[in-house]
Amino acid sequence: MNRFVLVVLSMISPLVALARTPPESAVGMAGRIEQIVLPGAELVPVAADAKSKVVLRVLAVYPHGSAFRYDLEFVGLEPGSYDLREFLVRKNGSPIAAGDLPPIPVTIHSVLPPGQVLPHPLERGDAPHVGGYKTLGIAAGVVWAAGLVAILFYRRQRSAEAIARSTKPATLADRLKPLVEQAIAGTLPAPQCASLELSLVTLWRRRLGLEDRDPAEALTILRAHAEAGPLLTGLETWLHRPPEQSSVDLVALLAPYRNLPPEALDAPVRAGASSGT
Amino acid sequence: MPTGTVRPLSPEDFARTERFLAAVRQRVATVIVGQDIVVERLLIALFTGGHLLLQGVPGLAKTLLVSVLSRSIDLAFARVQFTIDLLPSDILGSEVLDPRTSDFRVRKGPVFTNLLLADEINRAAPKVQGALLEAMQERKVTIGNETFKLPAPFLVIATQNPVEQAGTFELPEAQLDRFMLVHRLGYPEHDEEREILVRNAALGIRREDKGAIARTEFDVLEKEPVGSTEEIVSTMEAVHQVHVSETFVEHVVDAVKRTRVHPAVELGCSPRAGISLIKASRARALIRGRHYVIPEDLFALAEDVMLHRMRLKYEAIADGTNGRDVLHEILRSLGGGAGGSGSSSSNGA
Repeated sequence: MNRFVLVVLSMISPLVALARTPPESAVGMAGRIEQIVLPGAELVPVAADAKSKVVLRVLAVYPHGSAFRYDLEFVGLEPGSYDLREFLVRKNGSPIAAGDLPPIPVTIHSVLPPGQVLPHPLERGDAPHVGGYKTLGIAAGVVWAAGLVAILFYRRQRSAEAIARSTKPATLADRLKPLVEQAIAGTLPAPQCASLELSLVTLWRRRLGLEDRDPAEALTILRAHAEAGPLLTGLETWLHRPPEQSSVDLVALLAPYRNLPPEALDAPVRAGASSGT
Repeated sequence: MPTGTVRPLSPEDFARTERFLAAVRQRVATVIVGQDIVVERLLIALFTGGHLLLQGVPGLAKTLLVSVLSRSIDLAFARVQFTIDLLPSDILGSEVLDPRTSDFRVRKGPVFTNLLLADEINRAAPKVQGALLEAMQERKVTIGNETFKLPAPFLVIATQNPVEQAGTFELPEAQLDRFMLVHRLGYPEHDEEREILVRNAALGIRREDKGAIARTEFDVLEKEPVGSTEEIVSTMEAVHQVHVSETFVEHVVDAVKRTRVHPAVELGCSPRAGISLIKASRARALIRGRHYVIPEDLFALAEDVMLHRMRLKYEAIADGTNGRDVLHEILRSLGGGAGGSGSSSSNGA
């Protein structure tokens, strides 16, 4: 019996004390209520938001028979009297009925005299750019690089097309044919004689696979070749000997090269003709 | 035609020149094994009045070659070893005070000779190189207040070691251009090297004073010349009578022009390169028994005449391109299209 009375007294005594003198605190200063026994399931503070007038924290929780004993801390943001029950919820989510908890009154007073000018209420501003400055910078860089690549690709494509259009080289056959015809007709000027001679050398170098050889070496090999040798000697006689010694039967010399199809320039040499190589 | 005003070579002139050249080459061959191309380049330089720079490592018989050539043709020969402390007066000569007469007397330097071997020319200071190259170009030397003509023929054969570059002064392009030919000497072939060793081993020793010293190839040089200065002059005349066709001139112009437009070349060949190419081709044709030049002469001489007159771009050098590859590419492209006169005209043909 005595034990029961002690328990009841221990539960009632703080409430009696609270009812008599509710705890006080100044705006912004923390106040504490310690060892308060609240019946029922465990309580936790309501999450504070921008509109909360009191911020409540549970500093410690102790089991207390079928109830719990709490150390609470509260911070008042606006002056007035408040009941901290409004800032508590059950941890297990069960609702708090009207008479479940005793009142927990607190008073928040202002240190400043009344009539203070209040700051304008905060207004919601515009949302910032997505991702902020860094993302914006990266996006701008990607756009710039893509533009640059597009310009370069376009110009390269255009210049390649222009080169292909403007400098499509005449094939050796294309160059050789008019030179041979003019030479046979006796109307080939000296600069083109030079071109004819070296075009024929190029032709034979290509035929004998001597394109990568030293030009002087290649010429020595050509001179010893059964077909190319007489051609070179004939050309030298015609083009390089003094005029009085330069009589050559050009028609016979150049006849094999008059109507040479383009594919014949790269044709392999007949087996018997490569004695000199 | 370029040779239209020159008297053509008579068969007698031609035969005489051939005999002379054969005798010289035979004499050179008594002490020099192989090196036919170098001997040919020496003769080309001698007969065209050009100068020759030999690039090669030591020990390739450069000095011996020049000595035997000078003795074969009865030419005065002098050798100067270029060093860092050499002065222009050491080559050209200077005025010295004669104590007996108290007058200044001119003492001519080794440049007053027919064949001057300038050994390792890149070891001398630029002012010495400049003095020699000026003498080579003008063929006269001023000492004090007096100007002296150098003897004729006058041929400078300079050598340069391509591997030891420390403490050397590289010849700038403008001075290299004064050398008609720059020939790069290679090592002898296997058989030639064996023959050199066999011959050297048979030299034996020579008694001198109370002792003896090993004989060298210089000791076996025959002193009797096989040709005279007059024969050189007539050969030089014969070189000028070698026929150069318009077509050949076109080839030369085309080759020289292509060196100026090649993308890897910063400095192409000067017109002097073309002139030298034609002169050298004429001499080569005569040495090879022809009285007209052919494209083979151009191709054979292009490297020696043109390569030292081309300077590659830094980008090309950084890419590992060398001048020889570029020159061969140019020569291979002759008659093949873009670049020269022949190609442009061919389009219109």
